[in-house]
Amino acid sequence: MSTNLADPQRLATPPTFQAVSLSRRIKNGIATGLVWGAFLIAIIPLVWVLYTVIQRGFPVILDGDWWQKSMSGLLARQQGGGAYHAIYGTLVQGLVCAVISVPIGIMIAIYLVEYGGRSKLSKATTFMVDILTGVPSIVAALFVYTVWITTFGLGRSAFAVSLALVLLMVPVIVRTTEEMLKIVPDELREASYALGIPKWKTIVKIVIPTALSGILTGIMLALARVMGETAPVLVLAAYAPFINYNLFDGPMASLPLMMVNERNNPTAAGFDRIWGAAITLVVLITLFNLLATVISRALAPKTK
Amino acid sequence: MKIQRHGAVLGLVAASALLLGACGSDNNAPTGGTNTSSNAASVPVECGGKTKLNAEGSSAQKNAVDAFVQAYQAACPGVDLAYNPSGSGAGVKNFNAGQVDFGGSDSALKEGAETEAAAKRCQTNPAWNLPLVFGPVAVGYKVSGVDNLVLDAKTTAAIFSGAVKKWNDPAIKALNGSATLPDKDISVIYRSDESGTTDNFQKYLKVAGGWTKGDGKQFKGGVGEGKEKSAGVAQAVGSIDGAITYVEWSFAQDNKLSIAKIDSGAGAVELTAESAGKAIDGAKIKGEGNNLVLDLDSIYGSKAAGAYPLLLATYEIVCSKGYDADTAKAVKAFLTVAATTGQAQLADAGYVPLPKAFQDKLLTAVKAIA
Repeated sequence: MSTNLADPQRLATPPTFQAVSLSRRIKNGIATGLVWGAFLIAIIPLVWVLYTVIQRGFPVILDGDWWQKSMSGLLARQQGGGAYHAIYGTLVQGLVCAVISVPIGIMIAIYLVEYGGRSKLSKATTFMVDILTGVPSIVAALFVYTVWITTFGLGRSAFAVSLALVLLMVPVIVRTTEEMLKIVPDELREASYALGIPKWKTIVKIVIPTALSGILTGIMLALARVMGETAPVLVLAAYAPFINYNLFDGPMASLPLMMVNERNNPTAAGFDRIWGAAITLVVLITLFNLLATVISRALAPKTK
Repeated sequence: MKIQRHGAVLGLVAASALLLGACGSDNNAPTGGTNTSSNAASVPVECGGKTKLNAEGSSAQKNAVDAFVQAYQAACPGVDLAYNPSGSGAGVKNFNAGQVDFGGSDSALKEGAETEAAAKRCQTNPAWNLPLVFGPVAVGYKVSGVDNLVLDAKTTAAIFSGAVKKWNDPAIKALNGSATLPDKDISVIYRSDESGTTDNFQKYLKVAGGWTKGDGKQFKGGVGEGKEKSAGVAQAVGSIDGAITYVEWSFAQDNKLSIAKIDSGAGAVELTAESAGKAIDGAKIKGEGNNLVLDLDSIYGSKAAGAYPLLLATYEIVCSKGYDADTAKAVKAFLTVAATTGQAQLADAGYVPLPKAFQDKLLTAVKAIA
């Protein structure tokens, strides 16, 4: 405030019209009202969904058995059991998918930003990634079904689900990583070259660590997204009410699949299981998002 | 910065290790109490082989299979079976593709492509259709003041094709001598989704009641209002006075619908486990040897006194030979339990326990699986 006199935007003479006219105030009021209305309309379904899921699912997940047991040997109408088998399936399918897609995605992004430039290969890659981004999950699932099951004759398994999820996850990782690498200032690279550091070492030691927090956030968000996918698990894995640790053989449950399966169960127990699985999925994905925030805070480049 | 990074990675690893390595358990047996083993050991079960079986198919037998799994676990500790109720078509398809150990279907394998594909899956051995689960279909209705309705196949066909429109129609009156029937419209409720129940109901009407509208999984009667799934039709009838439908027994019971008695020519027969069992006893087998394909016409057209003819049979489709040793052993153990001790709980779930003679035929077939 003390610099008020030096404010370059200060008018030399006081404005002629000081009062805001009524019509302007009315327009302002209408615009404000519309924006608030739009905000409320957007927020109502979100709050409603959250409220419904929590209200119906929360009592179910409070039971300790929910986190430790499977649905093995329970009749449709019998209460009890848990979602351990489905939680395990969702996490493992997601993690295996991440293990495959993260290196591929990051390397594609490094190629595009650091090496590709405007070459034809780079343009073709970008184009393909764009197309892959738009592929619906059911198409990815059916593609893996034709290759993995029909052509190679292998069985339905959790690993096939992971492969379909890879198709959905790679483009997301490429996109976010590309953006993150692009915003690393060129001065950093040039300073490194000036010290005689080879290009690959510059990328590994300077560029990636600088962009790491953003890249990890992108990976976590992509992971959260694929964990909720329903189409691949429906097509590529059969539901098992018991715990199956084997990724490559036999049916394996996952949370979306458990919900689909219990939809056929009209009893109160089935109702509880659907909402329980729903809130468990929401909780897991929220945890992953929180983890992404924490990691990106911890790894953010120090500015001081 | 370096320490923080390691810390974050460590945290992630620790969190996932905690979640994945925690003590997950498949044990859901009620503590202190064996519920199913009371009449066990009537047939010795050879446990063993593959511990986790995989099956898929008809949703009509889902609850029965759940009960079988409980009995199987009581007889053979540590085993399990996944049954995906994705429909008969999917069950046959995935059995033939070798994705599941056995399939469940509400109709036997069709001659031709289906049977050939199944033989190929079983290393050029024939696949057998074993009718293991029988569910009666109830003609459920709700008319205030009427709770002892008797129908025959012909009148039922007339109601579900729209020829009989009022509850006090002379055709219904003729079957229910003393009852007072209201002058009320009949609201027919049918399954709007594709269903084996619809298929069997229409086949029954065709065989026994001169139904001319055709069969198949879609309702062809051309009257009434469609509702989705068994739960949907049963609820609809429960809330409309004057409504009638066909639905699996358990749904009619759960929704407290009145169930019509069926008169096949030898007096009105109430739907009970005994009357339905009697109809199964009278069934003829048209398959060869251990391939127990039922001649459903012999059940539907049965005029035996005290037999309730409107049944839905679901088959387990298994390989006669060609399983690997582990799978064969487990499949045999499961089917043996299912045909014996597993039957005890079926009546609660709306199915008919197998009559003794039929059970013996099934056990012979199961024993012959190699």
